Amino acid sequence: MTLPRPDVIGSYTVDGKMHFYGSRRTELDRAGVSMVRTLKSFNFDPGSVITNVSLTPEVVQFAPFEYAVQILGMYGTNADLSPFDAGRVESLSRQFDPVAMIGIGKETLEGLEMLGHDAKTVFRGRTVWARPDAYEAVKVLPEVDARRCVIAGPVLLLECARGKLHLDSREWIAESENDQLLLTSRQVRSEPLQRLATGVAAQVSEEACACGNHDMVIELL
Amino acid sequence: MASQTQTRWPDVLDPIEVASRAFLDSHQEASLAAMSRHAFYNAPLINEVWKKAGVSPDDIKSTADFKEKVPFITKDDIRDFRDRNGDPSGGMSVRIPGQTVSIGTTSGTTGDPTPVPNWRRMPSEESYSRDFWHIGARPGDHICHIMFTFRGGHRRRASQEMGLCEIAFSMSPTEIPRLIEASKIYRPVTMSIFPGPLILAMEHYFEKTGEDPVDVFKSYKGAVFGGEPLGERLKNLTKSWGLEVFETTSLGDVAGATHCRMHDGFHAYEDLAFIEAVDPVTAEPVPDGEVGELVVTTLVDRLSPLVRYRTGDLVIIDRTPCGCGRTHAKFNLLGRATDQILVEGRSILPREIMGLVENESETRASLFQIVRTGREMDELKLRIGYNKERMTGPDKELHDRLHGKIKEAIGVPLVVELVDEQELLKLGPPHKIPRVTKS
Ligand SMILES: [Zn+2]
Ligand SMILES: [Zn+2]
Repeated sequence: MTLPRPDVIGSYTVDGKMHFYGSRRTELDRAGVSMVRTLKSFNFDPGSVITNVSLTPEVVQFAPFEYAVQILGMYGTNADLSPFDAGRVESLSRQFDPVAMIGIGKETLEGLEMLGHDAKTVFRGRTVWARPDAYEAVKVLPEVDARRCVIAGPVLLLECARGKLHLDSREWIAESENDQLLLTSRQVRSEPLQRLATGVAAQVSEEACACGNHDMVIELL
Repeated sequence: MASQTQTRWPDVLDPIEVASRAFLDSHQEASLAAMSRHAFYNAPLINEVWKKAGVSPDDIKSTADFKEKVPFITKDDIRDFRDRNGDPSGGMSVRIPGQTVSIGTTSGTTGDPTPVPNWRRMPSEESYSRDFWHIGARPGDHICHIMFTFRGGHRRRASQEMGLCEIAFSMSPTEIPRLIEASKIYRPVTMSIFPGPLILAMEHYFEKTGEDPVDVFKSYKGAVFGGEPLGERLKNLTKSWGLEVFETTSLGDVAGATHCRMHDGFHAYEDLAFIEAVDPVTAEPVPDGEVGELVVTTLVDRLSPLVRYRTGDLVIIDRTPCGCGRTHAKFNLLGRATDQILVEGRSILPREIMGLVENESETRASLFQIVRTGREMDELKLRIGYNKERMTGPDKELHDRLHGKIKEAIGVPLVVELVDEQELLKLGPPHKIPRVTKS
């Protein structure tokens, strides 16, 4: 079988090395439809704003989240994951009062500090999905609903309202080998993956999450 | 217009690019009336400004009516409305459920970024699709997409809707090795946006690695250059790499405007925008061929219906048919009206200084500022950043060399102050600094 040609070539990073990774737009949309199952557990109002902090080469991981936001009738805003664009994160927070922010990383926190903004004010009252390198710092902020988002290869693992990290199990088979998460694609993809070692230390849980999404739960180690 | 055959691709993506002037004029006339009505009823700022001027959409029956009656809006009007009403869009954008898919923001170099609501396909995506096609991208090709996410995130589908595959990159010099790797793997045909700082980083990379740029870029039909104006040195440099560079600019926030293969001005697609030029001080109309401030009206963007928006850009508009075969207007961009200074009656804009500064090895990054205390000045004051590592003699030698060359080219009283370029870079965003400063 010849593989379908990708519409966009993004990337994934394992052990500090970036790899090119192509997807068709339908694959990203499909992942977005799946992500709705996790996102809707928060019951945000339609018309709410959600800020997405990411980089252009993270398109394969973050385009699905944006699509899920659109499907639920909310509006996305964007900032780059970089210290220089942390000023935009502050401005978007102040101007739009987003219900949630996703993809907050170490660069954002460093940038806020560098620019003299108080992270407490920027994130107060919001759900904040932080990357692993910023999670602990976000978790201790007062009045912040701190959540995890974890990039595992071409996939964004998103924490639901019941505190579990979900993986789209119609798209991926997950295994844990030597405590590392491996991913195998199940559907027709432009670049199928066979037991991709993601570099994420995790185990796979058989538990059905109480949030209502019965997609697989990934437990970080 | 010839009909499309199946034996070869047409030269233009959309046949309207080569429509007759009469067709364009009548198309614009109808679009102006429709957009006037939409803006009046949906954009609170337009509604307020028009009511104050005693104008209603029913008064706009022709292009002549539009030019005679419709009031201008400026960036200051938008900011003022924003501050009075607590509306981040300044009364200029409309969120329409089911149509607005995300909210992009402007670069925000001078204050809070302004929201730009996105629908599925933005006018700028339409204009860049036409530009990529013009450069030579065809279905099945790869293109490099180098961008910040804040313009509207990962939502864009315009390239795939032309059958192109986009390779995604951050707008950062750290991406250079990946850009070069992708160029060798996928053999893309265009790269966009490719700004000065990335070209400089690439030059540095080639110098360091000894890699052959001609081989790296052999599949490219063009690169779209954006940001600041392209100086002679970078133009010659990219040419030596075998890259044809197409400059691009924003058409007053309503679309993109890019050079064609004639490289003689930016094409403004006249089915997407209506453009005019006015005197920057009196706002009186300025005929085509003379310097004026660019005024734009979107003909398609129902979420940001800018109508008669004064862009602050000084331009010369040319509506004669272009050698590239397209009939739409072109304009030359001279600079920002607020950056302009007059010394002994001579107009000076940063663009002119740029070429002079980048020609010297120590200042090749062209990091400089004009100190502007008013529109009319007794002397030209420049602060120029140099690269410490490239200095070969005393500061005074560089100072005198720059002073001599700039003085000779501009011919007005001149003061040059040299500073370490790291000082100027602190004024960021990365590698982009304000070209004009008050002190
Ligand atoms: Zn759950
Ligand atoms: Zn042309």
